[in-house]
Amino acid sequence: MFETRSLKSKIVLQIVLLLLTIPYVIPLIQMFIGSLGGTGWHNYKAVWDTGVVPIYFRNSLLISAGVIALVYAFSMTAGFGFAKLRIFGKEVFFWLILVALTLPEVILLSPLFVTFQKLHMFNTFWAVILPTAALQLPFTILLARNFNSGIPSQLMEAARIDGASVFSTFWYVILPLTKPIAASIIVLTLINSWNTYLLPLLFLQSPDMQTVTLLPQYFQGEFTNDQTKILAAAVLTAIPVIIVYLFMQKSFEKGMSAGALK
Amino acid sequence: MNQSSKSTVMNGLPWILPAFVFVVGLIYYSIFYTFKLSTLDWNGLDPLQTSVGMSNYDKALNDWIFWKAIRNTAVFFVITFLIQNFLGFLFAAILHSNVKLATLHKCLIFIPTILAPATMAPVFRLLFSPQGMLQDVFDALHLGITVDWLARPDSALFVLMIVTIWQFTGMSFILYYAAMSQIDREMLEASHLDGAGKFRTLLSIVLPNCKSTTISLAMLGIIGSLKTFDVPYLITTGGPNHATEFLGTYIFRQGIRQSHLGYAAAISVMLLVLAICGAILVNRMNKGGDK
Repeated sequence: MFETRSLKSKIVLQIVLLLLTIPYVIPLIQMFIGSLGGTGWHNYKAVWDTGVVPIYFRNSLLISAGVIALVYAFSMTAGFGFAKLRIFGKEVFFWLILVALTLPEVILLSPLFVTFQKLHMFNTFWAVILPTAALQLPFTILLARNFNSGIPSQLMEAARIDGASVFSTFWYVILPLTKPIAASIIVLTLINSWNTYLLPLLFLQSPDMQTVTLLPQYFQGEFTNDQTKILAAAVLTAIPVIIVYLFMQKSFEKGMSAGALK
Repeated sequence: MNQSSKSTVMNGLPWILPAFVFVVGLIYYSIFYTFKLSTLDWNGLDPLQTSVGMSNYDKALNDWIFWKAIRNTAVFFVITFLIQNFLGFLFAAILHSNVKLATLHKCLIFIPTILAPATMAPVFRLLFSPQGMLQDVFDALHLGITVDWLARPDSALFVLMIVTIWQFTGMSFILYYAAMSQIDREMLEASHLDGAGKFRTLLSIVLPNCKSTTISLAMLGIIGSLKTFDVPYLITTGGPNHATEFLGTYIFRQGIRQSHLGYAAAISVMLLVLAICGAILVNRMNKGGDK
């Protein structure tokens, strides 16, 4: 956009870019420097020695895996059905799902609080997995439907003439072709379920069931507000996420922006 | 045309039914339950539920904290939307030019979007406190500024906006970056040949061509502002004196912390109405632009 030719303007542009980027790095630097305050690297040892970090990671992984499995299975089947199969009243079904697209999760708080109490679902991963998946699905079904609509119907027709059932058409023709959108859906769901805070805060109350987003709170109690150890825990939580992102940059960027692009 | 319709003769209901039952079941059940709760005076545990009709709604409309939360949401949306998208647009334009280390800059801007607000909240509480790095920098420069912004009602909301802009510029950037890749290069060159400067081209050619992206971002911004919970809850818990209260934090405060489930549900219903209105509004803007 700013195709510059002269060396001077090239340097100016580079400096402007650098100055604009610095504010985005400051919090990360603050996090790292802060985590080394007081007893330095021993903060990390103290945090690690509590033994809870791997447990919280495992819990977040289990929850994310559960949400991803549900979202993947339901979006792929429903995306295919909505785009390619004949359904009576299809648009009504679709519209009813789509209305939930903009629903703030906090609206579900009171009803879920009461219902999960009745069903004795407090302190189970399902209390987080089910609502998280349900809130994610309207969007991912929309993505999957749009993508499926772009697949030529002749491919399905050919499979049908060859005697394939709807299921084997889905399995052998549609699933391989929808890999790109499936990747976006999985990454998007992973980020959202890994970062979810409100539902675990409310429904996972025993420490051995909690998720990485609740780690700062745990250490606030454990180290009575010793900021340095809370920040060490934050660094330990952020590093795996950043590493995964760096390895899968393209999928992350596609996943995050999937819905907004026409 | 005929052939493709023949291939869809198969009945697809079983394919959508599981997803439909799951989503509609869980979400609509919750919405209707919220409606019901909103007519009650109930703490969630007591066997005694008192029906109070619409008085919870009345109470909300006369509650200054409710209006404060609405005003905060509106101010928050307008300012974060403008700054975040201005910066995202600028980054996209610069990184579409021939600059060095483009990938590094891209990663640094994008990393905040994937980090959980819950993880970063302690960092921001420190950064914007007198013990943080900003204070050290101001002290070194002898500026005489005290970084107590989170403790002051007139500045706390702005700190939360900074945090949100920090978090989501990467999103605006990625979307604008993708939109700009699709702009016809010849159109840009023609504009340059006509003697339009680079900024002029950016404003009168590039920006209008990114219109649908801007609308998508407006949609995300409105919904996101209405959903805001993690950042204010974790950094300021809605304070000081409700200066950073949002509908989400207020619903949580009323419903969960103070066990006024009925009142929280009434505010939830109003939040739901606002979210749907927001979605319709942006959708209409979008359609109006296509004509």
